Amino acid sequence: MFIVDYFKDVYGAMKSLLVGMNRTGYYFTHHKEIITEEYPDNRDTLKLPERFRGEVVMAHDENNEHACTGCSACELACPNGTIKIINKFDISPEGKKKKAIDTFVYHLELCTMCGLCVDACPTGAINMANTFEHSVFNRGLLTKRLNKPDSKLKAGVE
Amino acid sequence: MSAASIIFYLIATFILGTGVLAVTTRKIFRASIWLLFSLIGIAALYFWMQLEFLAAVQIIVYVGGIVVLIIFSIFLTIKSGDEMPKPIFIRSIFAALAVLFGTGFVVRLISLYTFKPNSTTVFNLNVNQIGTQMLDTKNYGYLLPFELISMLLLAAMIGCIVIAMKSKDKDATTFQNSIQ
Amino acid sequence: MFSLESLTTLVQDWLNKTFPPAIALLFEFVIVGVLAIALFAALGLVLVIMERKVAAWIQIRLGPNRVGPKGMFQSAADTVKLIMKEGLTPDGADKFLFNLAPFIVMMVAMLVLAPIGFAKGFHIWDINIGVLYVSAISSVSVIGILMAGWSSNNKYSLLGAMRSGAQMVSYELSVGLSVLSIIVLTGSLNINDIVLSQQNGWWLFKAHIPAVISFVVFIIAVTAETNRAPFDLSEAESELTAGFHTEYSGMKFALFFLAEYINIFIVCAIGATLFLGGWMPFHIGNWEAFNHIMDYIPSFLWFFGKTFFLIFLIMWFRWTFPRLRVDQLLNLEWKYLLPISMVNLIVMTLVAIQGWHF
Repeated sequence: MFIVDYFKDVYGAMKSLLVGMNRTGYYFTHHKEIITEEYPDNRDTLKLPERFRGEVVMAHDENNEHACTGCSACELACPNGTIKIINKFDISPEGKKKKAIDTFVYHLELCTMCGLCVDACPTGAINMANTFEHSVFNRGLLTKRLNKPDSKLKAGVE
Repeated sequence: MSAASIIFYLIATFILGTGVLAVTTRKIFRASIWLLFSLIGIAALYFWMQLEFLAAVQIIVYVGGIVVLIIFSIFLTIKSGDEMPKPIFIRSIFAALAVLFGTGFVVRLISLYTFKPNSTTVFNLNVNQIGTQMLDTKNYGYLLPFELISMLLLAAMIGCIVIAMKSKDKDATTFQNSIQ
Repeated sequence: MFSLESLTTLVQDWLNKTFPPAIALLFEFVIVGVLAIALFAALGLVLVIMERKVAAWIQIRLGPNRVGPKGMFQSAADTVKLIMKEGLTPDGADKFLFNLAPFIVMMVAMLVLAPIGFAKGFHIWDINIGVLYVSAISSVSVIGILMAGWSSNNKYSLLGAMRSGAQMVSYELSVGLSVLSIIVLTGSLNINDIVLSQQNGWWLFKAHIPAVISFVVFIIAVTAETNRAPFDLSEAESELTAGFHTEYSGMKFALFFLAEYINIFIVCAIGATLFLGGWMPFHIGNWEAFNHIMDYIPSFLWFFGKTFFLIFLIMWFRWTFPRLRVDQLLNLEWKYLLPISMVNLIVMTLVAIQGWHF
């Protein structure tokens, strides 16, 4: 029936109008639900989600040891050449040559924070940090060395 | 000269000036805008005469209705922004003659009519009276039924045209099909 | 009770005593003009900040909060910025009409202010045909928009102006019909008479369901007529950049912007006058004591309270609903609002004749 449909339309329109306005009215009167972060003012209390990808970092423990073997899996995984691994050869006490990392170069200015390097790492040496305030006055400062000076490979990591 | 007559002459100059501009401008959209101002001037004249109802109706019908319709039809034409070509010289001679004749005719009519100021009755137009008159069934009544019948007749005429157009339309489509 | 009427008579008496009548009249013109412009400026500032705050709170944001306490001077800062900016005129534009259009829109908004009663005995022009005058003059503002759209020499502007014209012309009908349904009850077009007829209760409550229906139709149609979302097709940002005022900048743009807010104020003032009793305090039938208590609140507070309530209502559903498509917009008007308000007008006439209202 045309006329029944017509009134159904009108009824549905009024109902959806009221439902929508009820929702927005609820938000209008409940200021506690406001989700705006007043960023520079709330720096101290700012909480970022755990999986937020800010930059790539390499974890070091208290003995200044890391888990990077220098396998360069991350360098291969990186889609835009952000990571550059420079290796050296350590000579072990037995006199055997062993590949080890010399410098882990990380170009933050090229990084898209995709996290593929973290996925590719077989030893879990690198991960994504939560930091996001990366702006500096000199582009050179964005090229970072991730392994700390004089750091060693953690014992037992192959 | 009193303030009222100064205002009257100002409004009259405005109406005539914009009217002349409307017919002399060579951009069609500007012509419609000058026409609009001329019509608003006439409404202002009604306000000056304290005929507010008539003034409001003038604005609703002519400014809000007809001029908007004209502007819309101008928008839908292609060359609405271009200047139109200058009229041919002989045509403008005839136009000037027509204007002169028309002006002379109107001036003659006005000079023959003797304007008598009738200050005896205060002309006070009330909207209520207009409404009552429209639905009146006595003398000078039946105004609204008359208007409604005219609307009905208009609808009937348009319907006739539509029905008459139909067969021609079909011919046009068959013609187009034969071309294709 | 404090009344603005005594203030106006005081000023008039003083002017007439100190100056000859012609000059006193001139001074009154100037005073009224200055007051109207001051009201416009104040309204522009208040409504813009109100709109932004309402929008923010509805969208669970904070809104402007940097300039002044709680961001209250944000709109003043914006105005200063707009005044400083250069008013560009495009090279291919029809320069005369381009510069004229914002003033036409603004002048129309100013003219419509004349018959509105702000408080008891406080209006610019107590014209006999008040409501008709408002609907007549406000139909001119579409010309300003068409003019702006055409003279910009820009496809977006022209399309926006065409849409706006079609929209305003068609929604004027349902506004007119819903206004008429109240006129049927009052039997007068004079705004003062309409307000006085609501001495024992507002029409929204006195005339049952038909009044509520025509109120809803009025609010919807009026939102469409002022070109506001969800009916802001004429300046749909995602399709037409800014519609008819794409090419405007600086103060000329500000005039369009201000005129939009003034128009909202005016239509809400008309709505408040027709349905919520204008400056008439909240009265209930014969409850003399209650009515007396209500009378202690000054009438201009009632008027502005009701008007701002309606403005808030319009803002509320602006920020709730997405924009309609053109065909949906015209369907809504011609298939739903117009037939409903026509039937409603007949029902209202029946109510008025039979005296079924309170």
